[in-house]
Amino acid sequence: MSEPVNPSVDSPEYPPELARLPPGRHGLPREFVARNQRERLIAGLAEAVAEQGYAGTTIAHITRHAAVSRRTFYEHFSSKDECFVAAYDTVMAELRRRVDEAYNEEDEWPQAVRAGIGAMLEFLTAEPHLARLSMVEALVAGPVVVERYDAAIQGLVPYFEAGRKGRPAEVLAGLSPSTEEALVGGMVSLISRRVFADRTEELESLLPDLTEFALTPYLGSAEAAKVARQA
Amino acid sequence: MASKSTPRPLPGQHQLSREFIAQHQRARIVNALALEVAEKGYRNVTVADIVKRAGIARNTFYENFGSKEDCFLAAQQFAMSAALGRVVEAAGEIDDWPYRVEAGLAAFLHFVAEEPALARTCMVDALAAAPTSVRYYEESLQSFVSLFRLGRDVSPHGGKLPETIEEALIGGVFWIIYQRLLEEQPERIEALLPELVEFTLTPYLGPERARVVAAKGNGASTASSSRG
Repeated sequence: MSEPVNPSVDSPEYPPELARLPPGRHGLPREFVARNQRERLIAGLAEAVAEQGYAGTTIAHITRHAAVSRRTFYEHFSSKDECFVAAYDTVMAELRRRVDEAYNEEDEWPQAVRAGIGAMLEFLTAEPHLARLSMVEALVAGPVVVERYDAAIQGLVPYFEAGRKGRPAEVLAGLSPSTEEALVGGMVSLISRRVFADRTEELESLLPDLTEFALTPYLGSAEAAKVARQA
Repeated sequence: MASKSTPRPLPGQHQLSREFIAQHQRARIVNALALEVAEKGYRNVTVADIVKRAGIARNTFYENFGSKEDCFLAAQQFAMSAALGRVVEAAGEIDDWPYRVEAGLAAFLHFVAEEPALARTCMVDALAAAPTSVRYYEESLQSFVSLFRLGRDVSPHGGKLPETIEEALIGGVFWIIYQRLLEEQPERIEALLPELVEFTLTPYLGPERARVVAAKGNGASTASSSRG
């Protein structure tokens, strides 16, 4: 995994929205420029919010960071909130992509869960500003984003529901309709507390605990602990 | 939802002490804020909304609170200490730790069902409402954490539990409750008790014993009786 990088630095690891083209005219096709402007606005918002929080961010801040005009802003978004939603969706899509990649690489479900959690923690640690954007600022960016936040967390449920497959009857009897919701809520709560407190450097050390917590209802504590503590 | 507003003094009755009125005024304003926040989200609520809801003058608001944020913090503190109070009261009656947890959870769920707007001031999006909200939340969380940590002493494998398990369990419980609150089905909340008991006790006692407690527990109708 690469060193923590500033999302404004060009990097093949990052989707276009999180990277930047140099400003100025390039003689590029209109759609390309338009798409790139949108991406720059999103990156600009992320930078502005990292600097002064969502409440303190204005459209002028965003356009300055994005190096586009105010008019251009309004060609793409009708408000700061709308721009934030786009930024949020972009960050979440990237996070999701990395989690999926890590999860799908493993053959066995318990290891897949561990890998997925690991990928999430890795991303949040590498990008503390994006972690804050998606877990702290998102909560004050208006009801649309809060809804997305909830949905994103609930969206983790299927990764754990998959653990029910093939379990013996007495294990399944110990699970309830809300088990996965509780697991996901618990994990996110641990993570978000550290993000709130600006202690993202602690996140990766949570991997064993989070893995054990998540796997225990399906595997029992002994087996879950084994998977959790494997190197 | 059920906010208990103070009856107005009848004409001619000026005997209520200033302090009494002040206390009740604060509670009334706090309740009004909670209702408004539950409806509109913290960000969209204005002081005007709050005073309208509370049926008070704007001046009266500012006699009690410096700002919306101030008021929110008071609401959060009020809600948290009320909830904790109910939990401690219910759990304190009982010696057997698993049933103590069961009674505490029942009391908490009952509080949430009775005061859904107030409960919401303590959850998820509330954390972002004011900078000191998080700190207050952390402090309150510690009280719940210590209730659960006692389980390590009675658990056969207490020594091997992950360090953060209490935090995770409580986070999980809060999240589920929060989801039900969002769905605006407070009546469904108390029905969560058996599964939440099982979920929280399983790491300490194992699934079978946790299930027994969940099935046997008396929940809200607590009080005396010794447990098996």
